[in-house]
Amino acid sequence: MSAPAGRSLQINRLWPLGWLICRRLLSGALVLLASATVTFFALRLTPGDPVRAVLGGPTANPTPETVARAIAEFGLDRPLPVQYLLHIGRLLRGDLGTSFSQHQQVSAVIAEQIGPTLWLTGSAVAVAWLLSTLSVLATARRGWALSAVGSAAETMAAALPQFWLGLVLLAVFAFGLRWFPPQSDGGFLGMVLPTLALAVPLAGFLAQVTRESFELALDQPFILSARMRGLGEGAVRWRHGLRHAALPGISLSAWAIGSLIGNAVLVEVIFSRPGLGRVLYQAVSVQDMPLTIGVTLVVTLVYVVASLAVDLLYILVDPRLKAKRT
Amino acid sequence: MSSFIERRATTAAALIALLAAGLAGTGVARAEDVPAKGGTLIYATDREPTCLDPHVDGDMPQVFVAQQYTDSLVSQDKDGRIGPWLAKDWTISDDGKVYTFHLRDDVTFTNGEKFNAAAVKANLDHIINPATQSSTAGGYIQQYLKTETPDEHTAVVYLKKPYAAFLEVLAQGFLGIEAPSALARGRDENCQSPVGSGPFKVVKWDRKSEIVFERNPDYKWAPPTAKHQGPAYLDRLVWKIIPEPSVRFASLAGGNVDVIESIPPEAEEGAAKDGNLTLLIKDRPGNPTNSALNTRRAPFDDIRVREAFVRSADIQGALDSVFFGRYQRAPGPLSAVTPFASPDFQAHYDYDPDRANKLLDEAGWSERNANGYRIKDGKTLTVEVLIGDFQGPAERSLWEQIQATAAETGFEVKLQNLGFSEWLDRMGKWQYDAVGEYWNTNTADVLRIVFSSEFLGAAGSGGYHQNATGFSNPAFDEVVNKALETTEEGKRRALYLDAQKIIASNYLQVLTFPQSTRLGIYKTAQGVRLEPSLSVPVLYDAWVRK
Amino acid sequence: MTIPLSTSTFAQSRRLPKVSLPPVGASLAMLFLIVLIAASIWPDLFATSNPLKIAPRLAFRPPGLGHPFGTDQSGRDIYSRVIYGAGQSLLLGVGAVAVSMALAIPLGLIGGLGGRLAERFIGWVLDVLFSFPTLILALLFAAHLGGGIGPLIVATGVGNAPGYGRMIFGQTLSVRRAGYIEAARMLGHSPLRIIWRQILPNVMRPLIVMVTMGIGQAIVWSSALSFLGLGAQPPAAEWGTMLAMGRDFVSRAWWLTVFPGLFIVLTTLSTTVVGRYLQRCLEGRTS
Repeated sequence: MSAPAGRSLQINRLWPLGWLICRRLLSGALVLLASATVTFFALRLTPGDPVRAVLGGPTANPTPETVARAIAEFGLDRPLPVQYLLHIGRLLRGDLGTSFSQHQQVSAVIAEQIGPTLWLTGSAVAVAWLLSTLSVLATARRGWALSAVGSAAETMAAALPQFWLGLVLLAVFAFGLRWFPPQSDGGFLGMVLPTLALAVPLAGFLAQVTRESFELALDQPFILSARMRGLGEGAVRWRHGLRHAALPGISLSAWAIGSLIGNAVLVEVIFSRPGLGRVLYQAVSVQDMPLTIGVTLVVTLVYVVASLAVDLLYILVDPRLKAKRT
Repeated sequence: MSSFIERRATTAAALIALLAAGLAGTGVARAEDVPAKGGTLIYATDREPTCLDPHVDGDMPQVFVAQQYTDSLVSQDKDGRIGPWLAKDWTISDDGKVYTFHLRDDVTFTNGEKFNAAAVKANLDHIINPATQSSTAGGYIQQYLKTETPDEHTAVVYLKKPYAAFLEVLAQGFLGIEAPSALARGRDENCQSPVGSGPFKVVKWDRKSEIVFERNPDYKWAPPTAKHQGPAYLDRLVWKIIPEPSVRFASLAGGNVDVIESIPPEAEEGAAKDGNLTLLIKDRPGNPTNSALNTRRAPFDDIRVREAFVRSADIQGALDSVFFGRYQRAPGPLSAVTPFASPDFQAHYDYDPDRANKLLDEAGWSERNANGYRIKDGKTLTVEVLIGDFQGPAERSLWEQIQATAAETGFEVKLQNLGFSEWLDRMGKWQYDAVGEYWNTNTADVLRIVFSSEFLGAAGSGGYHQNATGFSNPAFDEVVNKALETTEEGKRRALYLDAQKIIASNYLQVLTFPQSTRLGIYKTAQGVRLEPSLSVPVLYDAWVRK
Repeated sequence: MTIPLSTSTFAQSRRLPKVSLPPVGASLAMLFLIVLIAASIWPDLFATSNPLKIAPRLAFRPPGLGHPFGTDQSGRDIYSRVIYGAGQSLLLGVGAVAVSMALAIPLGLIGGLGGRLAERFIGWVLDVLFSFPTLILALLFAAHLGGGIGPLIVATGVGNAPGYGRMIFGQTLSVRRAGYIEAARMLGHSPLRIIWRQILPNVMRPLIVMVTMGIGQAIVWSSALSFLGLGAQPPAAEWGTMLAMGRDFVSRAWWLTVFPGLFIVLTTLSTTVVGRYLQRCLEGRTS
């Protein structure tokens, strides 16, 4: 969350790990409160009528009593500040409320839908790391031509919009060649295209970052000494170069996970997958306030946890810190 | 009925049912025509219901699901006539306010509960209870007063005022009968796992993914409209949610699913030629897809301008290009499959630019500005059309074409794309000249909901009103209300003919195409049919061969 | 949508991906951008027909003579629409970045220069906003503001602002602590003069790169919102809207989706390449 390279290193050295975690959890809680507030007001100050939107769609004929009952049930008849305080109060007690549009507890909606989204983003991050590592190991500092090709491919990949890539993959490999099922219904084959749609652009970006620090690392004295000890090129690249090069990429992964969950909206819509993204999209469009806040909170939480995890991972991977501990 | 297209699959189904009934066991029928027991049919829909109980809210996806697991009190055949189902027969009091239903005594819900008069009472009371938030079913029986249960199998329903459409709306899946003990659990729980007495029972609902049904093995009370009796052929029915049209169609074309709903118009032509696929298409009864013209503000407060607009829009030309020649324009204020619909009024909606130009000149819009739009007193002849995001790209393209043909006559049509809640907001404040709408129901009483002054008021929060035209005409109100007091068929027909005439000659809507149910069926599935009350798919008679 | 905050996040570690692309890439990218800018100023020079003019009889023509990119479902010429879309898309990109900057620069500067309390508070506010996934923030704003180009610019700009804010904030802090500022202070220069002459230029220089790259990213973001139906409204010739309208026909008419998408990719790619090139030039000058 904070400056990846500079500040967290400093923090890690100066303070014990426990303090770091406490501090981050506290600030995480504040972040969650703020995100609930922003979402609440963004949604409730939007013109429109959430009650009609959920009462049976455009051709329904509710009686005034029915409408009044719905308004009272959602608490929309109270002044806005009261609604806000009530909702925040409920959140503080751990109650996410009931969705206007789904006739379900928000926590139940999230419990049902978070699995597919985490699975998708998790595999996308893994595949992105795999692709970017392969690209860097194979092409960085391998002569001008190869290096340029690798670098150009990475730049290209990073410029691909995920939704467009998803559509093209779908049209070619699912509709045209029929190698993959059009709808990803949980099976392995169905995961391939949506994962690639999210992973390829991310891989391009991670590879650009990793390539730069990888090339810097290869210039370091310890690489020279490793080579003089007779280590093969592959081993030098893998064991020494990559460990240093991975650092900035790792610290960006927390950001990447948060951003992927946001972008999952698009991929879930295109591939007709279940998941939080599609839920969020629908919730915003019918102004389902409790559901929107619930999903936003969860996504923010994932981001907060991921960035904490990344800081911890950083300590494990950073050779300098490791050397200090052993 | 030209717009009533039932293609290969239904004729095949009818034939097969005949064969199955008459020739079963004789070995004459080909193997593939004999219904096979067992197996799973995978059905893919575009929209997920928000609740599986059709009483709550009441949007179309709910009735599609409800039709598989509930039965109705009465049935409706394809000529619109009401027949028995859970009610064996009934009598109606002379004042039209008391309906006495004699119920079947052999029906049980899938939770083992007996169906009886108390169940009828529980269902109607549930629908009318504001806590249920029933806007469709509840809206249809606003006249309901109470139910009495003189004995186990007699239910006497009292209405506040005569309502001749009562039996018709009872035949809709929106008013399907559910187990009273299930309803008593509370709305949200019943939404998730409702219990009916139908041929299938809901076993699981993974939201955003699928609904799973299993056969009800005890089912022996199919309506007379069904093609067979006894339990359904299928073991299981999987109802998949696939919102993206292209993904849904590719799933069908690849045989990943057996039946899809809302086959995309651009894929229909190809599907019709594909030997693996059949199409099953049928209009829905009610008020066809249209744009209601707001008579409450200029320019459409002038009937001449309304007629000019209706006649300046080349609807069939637009439909042919947007839907690849597969949609016919609406025949009049009622779609052809609605009881008492008359084909006499289509000519009112014919494309006639000469007449449109003449009318506009007469109405004082005789000058044109540099862009070719007509002006009067320095004001441009502008028509603001609200397009809700739920209306889909095809309908938007349709309006672009209407925009183009209306421009030739001098209308400046502004298409305003809005999200649903913003759309409702503008609608509620009468801030539009035309707004897209439709109304699916199996009774001509829809005319009262869409055009009578009774529905001008704020029915919902924010002033939403069902009568989007602002039309207020005492003569019309009298006709449609009289029709509700009349149970005799010939008289009802005459009254509704009058009503359609008043509507058509007032040019209140630009009619586009009738709502329809459009299924694509893979060769593995047979016997799928559409019931008549809302053209909802019935999978009771369906079977699969894989 | 790739990585909108990429540059900003990374900038805080004070390094940016080094340019290893040959100058020929940068020249091609600049050429593409120049053509794009020309197309948005004088679309008539490039377009072959009216981008909004429907011709139902010509619907779904595949790419060929007369219609190099084919026609769409209403018979509109896709090539002309892509050309007219260039202006819309560049406007979106530039506008959104401007909105982001208008929010991010004051926040970042005040946070970096306003003393301990401001530093803490603004740092925290930026953290909060940054932990909102950009698309969700933009989605909320787009739903709030309604459809159309203006709201789309604002939504995209606001969605990306926290990333830029953090970048400027971090940059301001590091410049303030740099040796040459200390030196200027010791020389007795007034604080305002230091801010104006030393801090601002050093904070702003990397911004040129950010802004260049950001334009491409903002175009991708706004087209994602349009794609979800929240931004520019059909039949507007905006690339994301064209993509969204075309996606239903993807198996019947691939050209509806491929060409607008390709132009989004090429634009993003070009701004990235040009941005990196600018960065290398600037680095060469400062070091």
